[in-house]
Parts: sequence; structure tokens; C-alpha cells
Amino acid sequence: MLLLKPLCLRTSAEPWPENATLYQQLKGEQILLSDNAASLAVQAFLQMCNLPIKVVCRANAEYMSPSGKVPFIHVGNQVVSELGPIVQFVKAKGHSLSDGLDEVQKAEMKAYMELVNNMLLTAELYLQWCDEATVGEITHARYGSPYPWPLNHILAYQKQWEVRRKMKAIGWGKKTLDQVLEDVDQCCQALSQRLGTQPYFFNKQPTELDALVFGHLYTILTTQLTSDELSEKVKNYSNLLAFCRRIEQHYFEDRGKGSSSIRLS
Amino acid sequence: FRGSKGRPRQDGGPLGAQLLGRRLGAPIGTQRVLGGDGDVPILTTEDNIVSQPAKILNFLRKQKYNADYELSARQGADTLAYIALLEEKLLPAVLHTFWVENDNYFTVTKPWFASRIPFPLSLILPGRMSKGALNRILLTRGEPPLYHLQEVEAQIYRDAKECLNLLSHRLGTSQFFFGDMPSTLDAYVFGFLAPLYKVRFPKVQLQEHLKQLSNLCRFCDDILNSYFRHSLGDG
Repeated sequence: MLLLKPLCLRTSAEPWPENATLYQQLKGEQILLSDNAASLAVQAFLQMCNLPIKVVCRANAEYMSPSGKVPFIHVGNQVVSELGPIVQFVKAKGHSLSDGLDEVQKAEMKAYMELVNNMLLTAELYLQWCDEATVGEITHARYGSPYPWPLNHILAYQKQWEVRRKMKAIGWGKKTLDQVLEDVDQCCQALSQRLGTQPYFFNKQPTELDALVFGHLYTILTTQLTSDELSEKVKNYSNLLAFCRRIEQHYFEDRGKGSSSIRLS
Repeated sequence: FRGSKGRPRQDGGPLGAQLLGRRLGAPIGTQRVLGGDGDVPILTTEDNIVSQPAKILNFLRKQKYNADYELSARQGADTLAYIALLEEKLLPAVLHTFWVENDNYFTVTKPWFASRIPFPLSLILPGRMSKGALNRILLTRGEPPLYHLQEVEAQIYRDAKECLNLLSHRLGTSQFFFGDMPSTLDAYVFGFLAPLYKVRFPKVQLQEHLKQLSNLCRFCDDILNSYFRHSLGDG
């Protein structure tokens, strides 16, 4: 509550500064699939709004964040984390991608964003923290990599316990990997059907929904996991692949930003 | 579960599932609550026992009872998206209204629920569901910077009211969400809204908000009159 009040009072007056920064975990060794997707979604959103942002990688980004989630942005003297609040914050500064939508379209946009959070993000978290193969081979090592023994193990187990507890509370605790992949497929099918042959979800102009979908799909397609099952689910839908390529080219390559240096195959 | 009034439910679907069943012409009578692992509602047929609304809807679909044949692929996608919206934004506040808010839980939900299930489950199950609801709310929404239960409660009710507004915008002046015939989405939305609309609670903030959205109230009334007319006497 304390963090929110100053935001309302002071943001609208100041323009977007040149030195705005986005914080995430270390790219090469530490960051996990779900956090990478979230970070990329925010970067895409800011690019779409034409707002400059510098990406800074810090091992303790998760602890620096006011909500404990990454990414967070540092703009002027405010710190805002996660896509939802960042969209609100940017709107208060006079930039918005969804102002042109009518009320029904806005409702639809919010519903599809919840679909991505509900299914794709939860599936990513499941894969990272509840699938034994992935946990053993990738997650534990990456999550604890900046810390010395035994802290690296303790932190990784603690996080794993937290995520598993949440999964159980929302009914994903008893799901098998196949069921989770099935959910991912259902979600991708819905996104593919909604996108159709349009360039973006609301035709010619991208919105925060496009940024969110891009963040997740691109990360799934380009992250090396124990198997290719997850990325294969996305690859089944050619319009989604074209969508990712389009955003990558238009908002990342064309502007000389090499933030995603791995190309889509 | 029968009828419409005074019916608490755990999540979006039992009333919706029953509605869908009736709309599709599946012979659905009273479902017995077995309460084995605490999962309600439960659909029983000759050889199968299915719990959880989404699974019940899938089961009915596989048995060739499908309300969505006339929907386009795009509308099917919209259905999934709106269901996700309901589960993320409306469900926490509804769970709170029925199972966590003390006045509501002890005066309405618990007595009603306990009266419908056999002893000794009636002693155990309501308490377990109440704890489960609180747990779910805190684990999914109780994260920094919201440290106190009151702040979490304020946030989830704000989200729920916004969700109801979005549903109202989406429904507009149509009779159902996709034209003239009810579909899976109508069933889901009805499953959430009808108990919220009709149950008489001591603490009513979400209900008050819903009553201001006249097209959603009309939506509930239409469905109650068309599909639940015979059960209103039992309710």
C-alpha cells in the first residue's frame, strides 16, 4: 500500500527518462524459463510503446523486487514490478497500447491475458519445479548458481517447496506431465484460433496481450530443456511461429537490440 | 445438487454443469455427493464417477452431449479465455464470500452444506473446504506487498468487481454470450453468478455490485426460468 500511493501522486507529471532500467536475473547461468518469459514480455511491451529501457542482470533481482517477482523496472525514483502494474504505470505516464479498443475488446484482451497466465505460466512453473527430470538437471543448478554451498541448495529447495505448495492449492499438484502438455496445447490452440491470419491479436496494432504472448512463446521456443516436448506443442501452430518472428524482427532486430540473440529455427 | 437458491459451491461449475447437462438433454437427476476426497460436485452414471466441473463438461462432451457445435473456432477460444478470467479474478472473491467470510460461512454456507451430506462427513468436510479456500486465496494472492489479510481481501474484491464489469460489457444486450443459444461459457458464468445472486448472505458486498449490473441479473433470471423451473420448489 505504501508503494502504491506515491505512484499515483507523482507519476503523471514526469516524462519517461532516458536512463530507465529493467532488472532480471543473470541471463546465461541463472534465469529460469518462467522469469525469462516475464522479462521478455515487459521488454516487448516497452519496445512497442517506443520507450527506451536498459536491461541489467543481477543475481539478487528477485530479492530487490518489491513484489518478489521479476522483472521490475526502475524509472526515475519509482520501482514497479510485473507486467500488469507496469502497464498501469506506463498508462499513467500517458502511453498506452490499448486505448483504441472498445470495452468489449478490452474485456477480451484481459481474458486472453489471464488465459496465458493461467495455463502457459503455470505450465512453465510446473515443468521447472515439479517435473523431477527438469528439476534435477536444470532448475536446481541454475537457481542456486550465484550462491556458495550450502546456500545454493537451501534456496533452491525452499523455492521448490513454495511453488509445489501453490500448485497443490490450485489443483495442479496431481497432474502428470502429459496432462500439463495437453493444457499447453489447448492454450496454444486457443491463441492460434484467436490470432487467425491477423498480424496481431487486435489486428494492425500490437497491445500488451501481444507482448505477453510473445514473451512466453518465444522463450518456450528458444530455451533448451530436457526434451523438446514443450516447444513442439507451440511449433504445431504456424501462425504463432510467424507471430513470434514478426515481433522479433520488428521490435528487436530492427532496432539493433540484441536482447534475443538466439534465432528462431 | 438440486435447484438454485441457497446453494454454495466450491468453484465455478456444479450449477453450470447441471445447466449444461439439462440444456443438452442429458438425463441428469440429483447427483449424490460421495465426498470421498472432498471433491464436489460429482456426476454419477452407470459406470463412471466424474468430479470437478471441467472434467464433467469434458465427460458430457465425449458422450456426445455438446453445446458448442454451433460455435466457431474463435468462439471456442474465447470460451477458454473467459473461463481463465473467471478463475483468476472472480473465483477468489467468491470463495471468500462463501467459505472464508465468517458471518456468511457460519450462518449460511456451513449449515446448508452440512445438512446435505451424511454424518460424519458433515462434521469434517465443511471445515476442510473452508481452510482450503483460505489457503488458496492466500497462496495465490497473498504475496508482497500485500501482507495483511485485509489488504488481500480488498484486492480480491476489487478484482472481482472489475471482472463482473467486464462480463457485463461482454454480454451487452444479448441473451447469451454467443448469440441465442447457451453454450459452455454461459454454463460456467451462470454457475458462478447464480448462487452469488440468489443466496441470502449477511455480508453482501459482491452481491450488491452484481445487482447493479442489470444485464447479468437478467441473464441469471432467464436461465433459472428456462432450465430450472421444476427445481425451484426443491431449492
